[in-house]
Amino acid sequence: MIFKSKSVLVAVVSFFVGLAIPVGNAQQVSGPVKVVQLTGLAGVKDNAKGTLQVENGQLHFVHGKAISDVSASSIQDVVTGADSQRAVGGTIGLMSMAAPYGGGRVLSLFRTKIDTLTVLYRDADEGLHGAIFTMPVSTADVIKKELVAQGAHTTATGDSTPAATSSTSPSKEQKQ
Amino acid sequence: MKRILDAGITLFLLTLIFNASPLLAQKNKPAKIKAAALQVEMIESDEIKLPAEFQVALYENLIRQLEKNGFSHVYRDGDRNAASVADLVVLHSTVRGFKAGSERARQVTTVSGTTSITVHCQFTSPDGTSLLERDVNGKVRFFGGNLKATYDFAKKAAHVANENFSTPGRE
Repeated sequence: MIFKSKSVLVAVVSFFVGLAIPVGNAQQVSGPVKVVQLTGLAGVKDNAKGTLQVENGQLHFVHGKAISDVSASSIQDVVTGADSQRAVGGTIGLMSMAAPYGGGRVLSLFRTKIDTLTVLYRDADEGLHGAIFTMPVSTADVIKKELVAQGAHTTATGDSTPAATSSTSPSKEQKQ
Repeated sequence: MKRILDAGITLFLLTLIFNASPLLAQKNKPAKIKAAALQVEMIESDEIKLPAEFQVALYENLIRQLEKNGFSHVYRDGDRNAASVADLVVLHSTVRGFKAGSERARQVTTVSGTTSITVHCQFTSPDGTSLLERDVNGKVRFFGGNLKATYDFAKKAAHVANENFSTPGRE
């Protein structure tokens, strides 16, 4: 009887530990993070997929064979945000728009949450550049902390700025 | 015979008027302002709360579209090389209105969820004298993410610059 209750306890504990491990892993990003560079990096096409890593005071973006580096000390501001994107995107997502009886619209309801990372940096001539990345949830804050630790500046002190970025929450129009 | 002559004269006059009107319109057009180079300042949004990615996307798209429209020298905010350029025009942009919209609402309903952004563009000389001021807006109504509104704005702003400023080697 005691043996049975012990095994039940072990099973319950294992279940909760199993749930907690992925959350812990998400907070501690080790190694490159898969990202999409929306715009802004010199010499990199818009919407380029690649990996992002903070190493030796540099922000490395690797896209195929091309590597783009931004020095952490040249970064003026790092801002994180939250957004969402269609769960079914690309060509299939586009083709689904033509599905009968609003089938494509139903697919549009399914969205996945993503993080955004916006980096403002200066080039050798002091010209200001801005780069925007999207990445899996809870990875942007980690990259931001690593950048700040290696010399990047930031104006936003909080962990994230969930402003009107989220395309799922329409906000009221602001006018002067 | 006289009737044919009258008709001929009327036709000639009408042709003359139709051909002359575009020429007159061109004469009424204000002369383009000389701009050897453009410097784009960072988008300001002190009064409107604008997400950082929108601010950066507006700035980057604006520079790209100006370069596409034939401005060979487009300097970024703070670029040291711009200081020595004669006939430099500085573009200051301030966000006046912003509606975040919703991509999901656009895709589901088609009629709602529009993202729109209104930016006041002021072209000045390096000493701050205003040369041209316009309100330009960017919208995304049906397809695409919210950031596509920044691309729409950039295209329109570059068109305004193209219409009003001339650079060497481009009229």
